[in-house]
Amino acid sequence: MSDGADTHRAGEAMDMRSRRGVDNDGASLRSRIARLAGAKETGVFLALVVMCIFLSVTTDGFLTTVNLLNVGRQISLLGIMAIGMTFVLISGEIDLSVGSTYALAGLSAGMLIVLGWGLFPALVLGLMCGAGIGVINGLLSTYGRLPSLIATLGMLSIVRGTALLMTGGKPVTVNERNGADPDTLAAFEAMGQGYLFGAIPMQLVFFAAVAALGWLLLSRTAFGFRVFAVGGSAKAARVSGIHVQTVKIWAFVIMGVLAALAGILSMAFLPSGQAGRTGLGLELDVIAAVVVGGASLAGGIGTVLGTVLGVLIIGVLRNGLVLLGVSPFTQEVMIGLVIIVAVAIDKWSTRSRSA
Amino acid sequence: MSQQPIVELRNITKAYPGVVAMDGVSIAFRPGEVHAVIGENGAGKSTMMHVLAGEVQPNSGSILVDGEETSFPTPLASQAQGIRIVFQELSLCQNLTVGENVLLGPFGAQRALSLLNRNRAARAAAGTLAELGLADLHTDTPLASLTVAQQQLVEIARAISQKVRVLVLDEPNSALSPRESQRLFDIVQRLRDQGVTVIYVSHHLEEVLGLADRISVMRDGHMITSFDNTPEVTVDRLVTHMVGRKVDKAEQYSLSAQAGTARDEIALEVKNMIVPGAIRDLDFKLSRGEILGVAGLPDSGKDMLADAIFGLVPRDGAVEIGGILLQPGKPSHSLAAGISYIPADRRGAGALLSMTVAENTISSALGAFARLGFLRRRPIRDTAAEYARKLDTRIASLGQKVETLSGGNQQKVILGRGLVTGPRILILHEPTRGIDVGAKAEIYSILKSLAADGMAILMISSELPEVMLHSSRVLVLANGRLSGQLTGADITEEAIMSLATKHEREEAA
Repeated sequence: MSDGADTHRAGEAMDMRSRRGVDNDGASLRSRIARLAGAKETGVFLALVVMCIFLSVTTDGFLTTVNLLNVGRQISLLGIMAIGMTFVLISGEIDLSVGSTYALAGLSAGMLIVLGWGLFPALVLGLMCGAGIGVINGLLSTYGRLPSLIATLGMLSIVRGTALLMTGGKPVTVNERNGADPDTLAAFEAMGQGYLFGAIPMQLVFFAAVAALGWLLLSRTAFGFRVFAVGGSAKAARVSGIHVQTVKIWAFVIMGVLAALAGILSMAFLPSGQAGRTGLGLELDVIAAVVVGGASLAGGIGTVLGTVLGVLIIGVLRNGLVLLGVSPFTQEVMIGLVIIVAVAIDKWSTRSRSA
Repeated sequence: MSQQPIVELRNITKAYPGVVAMDGVSIAFRPGEVHAVIGENGAGKSTMMHVLAGEVQPNSGSILVDGEETSFPTPLASQAQGIRIVFQELSLCQNLTVGENVLLGPFGAQRALSLLNRNRAARAAAGTLAELGLADLHTDTPLASLTVAQQQLVEIARAISQKVRVLVLDEPNSALSPRESQRLFDIVQRLRDQGVTVIYVSHHLEEVLGLADRISVMRDGHMITSFDNTPEVTVDRLVTHMVGRKVDKAEQYSLSAQAGTARDEIALEVKNMIVPGAIRDLDFKLSRGEILGVAGLPDSGKDMLADAIFGLVPRDGAVEIGGILLQPGKPSHSLAAGISYIPADRRGAGALLSMTVAENTISSALGAFARLGFLRRRPIRDTAAEYARKLDTRIASLGQKVETLSGGNQQKVILGRGLVTGPRILILHEPTRGIDVGAKAEIYSILKSLAADGMAILMISSELPEVMLHSSRVLVLANGRLSGQLTGADITEEAIMSLATKHEREEAA
C-alpha cells in the first residue's frame, strides 16, 4: 500500500491525520493508525475479515490451503476484468461490453489454435480483438459523443453477435481431435490449468500480476493521475492541458485487453466455449465487484486495492455459501444483498464524513 | 423601531467535525427591511442561510417566527412560514420553459394526477414576471436559451411566485452585469415596499451600502455587530468589521499606477478573432509586464475570450506568441507555448475538487514530475509546498482535498498550478469572483508582483473596480468587438460603461 503524501488514497488519509492534529511529517504510530482508519478500503477489508472469521469457525473446509487457493482461482478471471473496469469507472465511463469481449477473444484464440496456429500468434490476435473493441468503445464515447452506457450496450450486442456468426453458434473445443498441434495445446492448457511451483493456480498468478501492474499504473504514474483528473472534472482536466479523449480511450483499451485476457484464460482452462453462453452477464458481476470495492460510478474515485478486496468479498461469499450448503438460488439473493449493503455502507459513511 | 422581528435566531450554534461554523449567533430580521449580511468566506453566512432554509439543523439555540419559538426540521417547514431562499448556484430545470420554472413550486405541490391548466399557469407566471419588472421574458421561452444572468432573475421570480414573507438572496448578482444588477436592486426595493423582508448576502460592499436598511457583520462563526445603515457608514468601516483589523486602503485598492507597466516586448497578439455567437472581430496586443483588463457587458463576448485564446472553443483568426501560431482546440499546445489560464468557473473548470492540493498544483506540469511515466513524489510535494508558501495558501496539509478549502484558497491553488508551468502569459477570467476581501487583496498583490517580473497578464472581469484599479490598460468590448481602450487616468467607471453600452445607444438612436 501507499506510504506517500501524493497519491489519491494517502491524501485522504492525511486529511484525517491533520484533523487530529498530528504532525504533518511525523510517521508516528498514531498517524499510521489514523491513516489506516481514513483509508477508503478499510471498511471493505474489515467486512472481508469478518466473513473469513465467520466461515473459519462455522465450516471445516474454508480455512484450508486447498480451498483458499481454489477461491483464488475462481475469482481470478473476474478480478482481471475488474482491474480494467476500475480504470474505466474512475475515468467517468462504464463498459458493458466486457462479457461479450471475453467470449469473442477466448473463442477466437481457441479457434485459431484448432486451425493449427501457434500459441503466440493466437494469443496476440485474441488480445488484439479486445484492444480493438476497446478502441471502438472509446471512440464512440469520446469523439462520437455517445454516453458510454449506450455505446457499450450496443457493442455488447454487436460483439456477441460477431462471436455467434464466427462460430455458427456451435461450441468450440480445443483438443487434438479437432486439429490442435499437441505442443501448442499443452502450452495453452498449462496457461489455464497449470500451477506455479506445483501449488499456485496459473490463473491466480495472472490475476496477481495484472493487479500489481494495475496498481502501479493507477497510483504511481502520470497516466493514472490523468485518469483520476479526467473522471473528477473533465473541464478542469482540459484546462490543465490533459487530453481527455485520449485518456478515456486508453482506459477502454486497457479494459478490452484485460477482458480478452480473461476470456482466453477461461478457454485455456475449460478448454471449450460457446458463443451463446460464455461470459453471459459477466459485465454486471465485474461492475458489482468494482463498486463493492469503493469505486464511484460518477467517476474520479476508486483504487486497485479496493477492487481486489471487492473481488475477494464476492469470491469468498460464493465459496462460503457453497460450503455452508446454501442452495444456488439463495446464493444469488445473498450476493445481491451484499452488493447493496456494501455500497450503502460506503455512501452513508462518506456522507457523514463530508458533512 | 421596536417592531417585533419576523424571524429571529437566538444563540444558534452549529459545529461540524473540526470547525464551529456558527458560534452562539443571534440576529433579528424585522418586517419589511432589507437586511444585508456580510463577512468573509467561512464567516458562517452560508451556514446561517442553510439553517434558515431548514437544510441544516443547529446543535443548539432557537428560531423564532413572529415571536414564537419554532424549528425547521425540513426545508418544507421553512417554506411553510413564507421563507424563500435563492442560493448562489442556480437550481432551475434547464429542460423546461421560463414559465414552467417560475411555477415549479405550485406545480410540484399539485396532486400527481391533477390536470394542469396551462393557459392559466402561463398567465400566472407572466404576472409574476411582470410584477418584478421582467415582462420582457416570455414564459414559453426555453430556459436554456437565456443567459445565466436572466436565469438568475427567473430564479427570483420562482421564489416569489408563492407566499413570501422573507426572501433570502445569497450573492444574487455575482453573475450579473451592472445594468442587470440595477434591475435586481429595483426588484429588491419593490419587494421591500410590499412588506417583504429581504435578507441580502453579498461581497459587494458599495451595493450593500446603497441598498440595505440594516447591516450585520459575521466573522469566524460569530455575529460581530448589527447596525442601521446611515450615511455615516463607509466601506472602510465595513471592511474593518469584516476582517477585524484596519485594512490599509492602499493594500485593498492599490493605485493603478502600480498595476504593471508595459514593456516594449509583445507577448501575445490576437488577430481577426471570430468566435461564433460571441466575438465578431477582435484584434489586440498584450505586452510583457502589463496587466491588461478586459471589461464589457455579459453579452459583449468577453466571457468567451479566454476560452477562445486558450483553445477550449472553436475560433477563427490567429493567436500568436512570439511568432508561433497557436493551434485552436489544443489547450496542451497553448500551455506549451507559455500560457496559463485561470478560468472563471472555479469549481467546475478550475480545480480538480476531489483531488488534493499537491495533485492540483502539479496537474498542468505532469511531465516535469514524472520519470518514465512514474510520478516522483518528493519533487511534487516540495513544489506544492513551495507554492503554498509563496502564495500564502492556508491549508491543513498538502494532502487536503481542494473541495474542503475556502474559495480564496482554492483560487490560490489554481493560481499556483498556473505558475508551476513557468508561463510568460497569464490569463485570468473573473479572478476574484466569490472571494472575500482579504484574499482578493492578496491575489491583486500577487498579480502585481508577477507583472513587475515581466509576466503578461490578461484579466477579464465583470467587476468594474477590479478592472479599474488593477489594470494598466483596459479594453472594453461591446457586441463582440473592441469598443475602445482606456489607459491611465482615463480609466473611470463612467468611461468604461459608456464604451460598453455605446453600441446599444447607437442602435437606439
